[in-house]
Formats: sequence, structure tokens, C-alpha cells
Amino acid sequence: MTHAMAGGHGVPPAEPEAGRQRRPLTRLWPALPAVLVLGVLFLGSMAFMVVFSFWRTVDLDIVADWNLDNYVKFFTSPTYPGTFVKTLVMAAVVTVTCLALALPFTYFLVRYVARRWQRIVLLAVIVPFWTSYLLRVYAWQAILGERGVINQVLLSLGIIDEPTRLLSYNNVSVYIVLVYVYFPFAALALYATLERFDFGQLKAAQDLGARPDQALRHILLPQIRPGIITACIFVFIPIIGEFLTPIIVGGTQGVLIGNPVINFFRAGQITQGAAFALIIAAFVTVLLIVFRRHLQVEDVVARG
Amino acid sequence: MRLFDRHLTRRRFLQASAGTAAALALGGLPTASRLFAQSGSFNMMTWSDHFYPEQLDAVAKATGIMPQISELAGNAEGYTRVREVGGQLDLISGDALWVPRYYEDSLIEAWDINELEVAKTLYPIAREFPWWTTPEGYLGYPFGWSPVQIYYDPAYVSPEPDSWEVLLDPKYAQRVMVENQPEEIPAYMGKYIGAADPYNMTEDELAQATDAMYLLKPNILRLAQQNTDTVSALANGEVWLATGNLGTDERVLEAGGPELKLFTPKEGTIGWMDAEMIVAGGANSANIRPWLEAAEQPEYMAQNFILYGRPLFNEAAYKILVDNGHQERADRFLYNQPEVAATMTLKGPSPSTAAAVEAFNEVFAAG
Repeated sequence: MTHAMAGGHGVPPAEPEAGRQRRPLTRLWPALPAVLVLGVLFLGSMAFMVVFSFWRTVDLDIVADWNLDNYVKFFTSPTYPGTFVKTLVMAAVVTVTCLALALPFTYFLVRYVARRWQRIVLLAVIVPFWTSYLLRVYAWQAILGERGVINQVLLSLGIIDEPTRLLSYNNVSVYIVLVYVYFPFAALALYATLERFDFGQLKAAQDLGARPDQALRHILLPQIRPGIITACIFVFIPIIGEFLTPIIVGGTQGVLIGNPVINFFRAGQITQGAAFALIIAAFVTVLLIVFRRHLQVEDVVARG
Repeated sequence: MRLFDRHLTRRRFLQASAGTAAALALGGLPTASRLFAQSGSFNMMTWSDHFYPEQLDAVAKATGIMPQISELAGNAEGYTRVREVGGQLDLISGDALWVPRYYEDSLIEAWDINELEVAKTLYPIAREFPWWTTPEGYLGYPFGWSPVQIYYDPAYVSPEPDSWEVLLDPKYAQRVMVENQPEEIPAYMGKYIGAADPYNMTEDELAQATDAMYLLKPNILRLAQQNTDTVSALANGEVWLATGNLGTDERVLEAGGPELKLFTPKEGTIGWMDAEMIVAGGANSANIRPWLEAAEQPEYMAQNFILYGRPLFNEAAYKILVDNGHQERADRFLYNQPEVAATMTLKGPSPSTAAAVEAFNEVFAAG
């Protein structure tokens, strides 16, 4: 093709070579705005954070005195590593719960519900996004609290004699609210994958002698792996940075690692907060690399 | 697909999208932001009880100026924000000794508040607080004040408490609420252990205050984000003890809660008194004085007191309150004694903020 065009216009053979070299660059320019936005808003601010994390706050002033104290403080404190591990455990448990709830839900939705109704059900799943996150979490205070709906129902049914505090202002309430908040992310990610799955394969596997559970494990799960991993990313990683839900429904027991970070920023201890935030970010980056290894992007693209 | 191919190639589509994005980024967003910002506007960061919606609407109607308000959580946060964004903010509220700190760092302007006609309605003492006075002018327009009190429900709390110690009593496990201010709670405990300056404690004092916080933690149901959280938790009986401003008991009663009692701890307490500060180099500074002139009128201040119930510095508003049958309430909340504000341990920045926050986190960030 190139030769024909080149020959047709009498262009020397060297020019198409140069054209081929220039082409990728000219094709890149549509991405320039996004690259600029990402570079300035994400990498730029990240660079500030990195620099601040190695400086010191003295009497609310940021002093350019390079040191590792902020990082050392995190790892030598009796508090922060423990709270970080607790956060990871909470994020893992919530992620597993969201997957456990979202997988059968989306499976049923895709396989047994008419397409028209699927859209309506999916709409119901994302309806909570139309209200503010803060409002939704505050609403849970009214549900789980000592004078909340659950206690009122249990009292009226005679199941308890006095309001229980088992569901409020502790790790349980944080867990419940986080599952509620992040379930839609898991459901949407899984739905997107399951929607493209050919359920005839399950029938074929069973025709060839596989038990239903074997068909699910060996046929379905490997093929929806990108959706599962995406759901994990969408749920697990934001929870590591959560601080509002623990503040509002967690009381003093339900704190996560985002809470001390926000306390540092609120109190003007920016360098300390930056270091802690970067430790969390570094961990998230490592996790993403691990996820990426297991996520074959070309699978997702090829199906699209 | 055919239509796509015929009229708009993928390449053209990408180019058009990129062009649109670039145009938006370079020119569109500032234009949009100008469209959203009303012609008479400025950026204000303040506490939610410094205004009420009807007041803002009425002032906007009268002056054509409507502030874009962002909520202030604490003094350190406000100070840090102004340092970060400078003149992108135009007006910010701050407490007592934080105000001169802003000025020392050239973050706010000193000005003659008497340029405003409405300043004549302030108590004279409020125009002369030495820590807000500089040769260049006054550092802020005085707003309100209050000592931090301890409120309790006498139906559950006995004997009658008189000390910070009641907050640490194990029999009130998960029945206490304090506001989520990492630099303030160590100061409260500093008062309890008798620290000379609760905002600048020695290592030994801070260690004692930290021990006190360990005792406090199991008693706290949750840390309140705003005073409204405290009011609702006291009103619905979730908590029996809470720190709060003057007037919290009235607000609890109005919210359908029990009749509370209050006391000033015998070890002394912390107090706040705040002012509206004009940020140096604010892009909309021309709108601030006309807005303050209208928004700080005694009628609005009187209504603000009725709504939020802690003393303000506007003397003419006190007279309105007296004329309208609110004298008993106003006097009970020390509205007519602004000189008391000058006797409190005032909130302010301290060299030991980092250590105090570290201590707070050590206790309250442990899961």
C-alpha cells in the first residue's frame, strides 16, 4: 500500500519511512490534554506530597529539612502499624463480602432476568449514588444507633428488652456501612463481565459430565476473573483510605488508618500526614502491580 | 457504524475530543467558574453557626453579594488552608490567638473596623481586645465567644459533677461526646491535670494528659463533627455528658431532649472568641466590607443568638433580645458580660501542636 502510494506520487522511498516515524507522534496529540491534566493534577500534587513527607513541620511551618522522621514515626509507633493492619483486614473482609453478595446477585440478574428488567434493577443498584455519600452514611446512624430503626424493631418484637449497642459505633457498624457503600461497585464490575459470558458453556460442560459446581469453578470463574479483580480493586483500595465512615458510625473503636492521616492534616501537620498518606499509597501501588499481574488486560479488551 | 465511518473518522473524533478538552481546560473552565460565581460574591470559610440561610438570602437581596461558603472544621485547618490557597479565600473565621498568628504570617489584613457603621453596634471592649490590635489596624471583625462547658443529663449523672474528671468516670462508658478536634482534646485534658498552659504543655504534662485521654477514650461514644452532632446525641439520649458552647442546653431542649445541667470545671476551662478576618490579597476583597456591613446588623445577630444560643459581641443585638423578651436567656449565657471572654484560657496556636496531635492519635487512632 505504502509502496503503491509512494510510487504513484513519485515520492522517494525514504519519505514514507520518515512519515511512519512521525505518525505515532502526531497520533499522540489527542492524548495531550489528558496527559497534562494527569501530570499536573495527579503527578504534580503527588510530587509535592513526596517532598513534604521528607520535610518537617515546626510550629505549623513547613521547614525544608530533609529527614526520614515522619516515616520512622509510622513504623516505630505502637499505634499506626496496628491500625494499618486492622484497615487491611477490614478492607479484605468487606471486599470478600461484597463479592459474595454481588456474584450471585449479578449471576441471577444476567441469567434469569429479562434485559429490560436488568436495566431497572441496575438502576436501583446505582440509585444511592444520586445522594451524597455523607448523607447515606449519616442515614446509617439512624438505622444502627441506640435509638435507631433496628433497635426499635427488635424492641417492638420483644427480641430484646433494652436497646443493643452491638451494631453501633464499633467495627461492626463500620463493616456494615462499608459493605453497603461498596456493594454497587462490585455489582457493576461483575455485571459488566457476566453480561458477556456465554452461559451455553456451562450447559456444555455439564453435558460433558461436569458437576454444576465444577462447571462454575472451571468454566465461569476463570472467564469472569477480570470482573472479579476489577471489583476487588474498586472495593479494597478505596476502603484503605476511608475516614468518613469510621468517623460517623465507627465511634472511637472503629477507626481506620485514614483517620490519623486526616487528623494530621486538620491540625496543620502536613509533612507527617503526607508521609502517612504515601505509605498507604505505596502499599496500594504494590497491590495494583500484583493485581495487574493477574489481570490480563488483553482479555478484557478483546471481549469488548 | 457506517455513519461513523462516513462523517466522522475515529481520528477526527479523537482530535475533536482532544480539542474540546483543551479548549475547556484553557478557557472554558475559567469562564464556567465566572458564570457560577455571582457578580457579587466572595469566598468565605467559616463555622456553620456564623450565619443562617435566611440571613444570607436577605443580605444578597440587599447588597447583591452572596458568599461562597466552605465549612471550617478547626483553627489549624483554616490556618493551613489560607497558607495553601492565599487570596483564593477572601474571608476566614478564626479564634482568639490564632488571629494574630495569621497576621504575623502576613495572611490577613489589618484594617479599621470602625469604617463600618455596623461596628458601632459592637460592645466597646470587642473593638479593643489587645491581641487583635496592631498599629496598622484591627485584625478581624469580632463575632462571638464562649467558654467550653460540660453539659450533663442529671437523670443519669450523679453526684453533681464539678470537674473534668467526670468525663473519665468508667460508669459513663460510651456516654460522653466531645468534638473531633485533635488539638483541643489534649488541651482539655491539660486543664484537667493542671497544666499551666494547656496549648504548650511540657513533656511530663503531655504524658499525664495522654494518660487521661486513655481513660477518656472508652467513655466516648463518638467524636462529634459539628455542634449539631452533640445536640442531637444529647437530645436522643445516646450520650449523657458532652462538652459544648454556652447555649447547648437550650438547643437540646428545642430538639426535644431532656433538661440538661452544665458546669464550668473547677480546674478551669478553655474558651474561644472568634473574628472574621480579611485574607490578604483576596481576589474579591471589594465585596467584603459591604457584605459585613449588611450581614452583621443587630437584627441578624439577635436572630443568630436565638438560633445558636451563645454570646455574640453585638451589643445592639442584646438590646433587641431584651426588648423581645429574651433577656433572661441572654443574661444566663453571659451575653451582657463580654469582659468574661478576656478572662478565659484562649484558644491559640502552639509550638506543641505536633506533640498534642501525636498524643491524640496515639490514643484515638488505635483501632
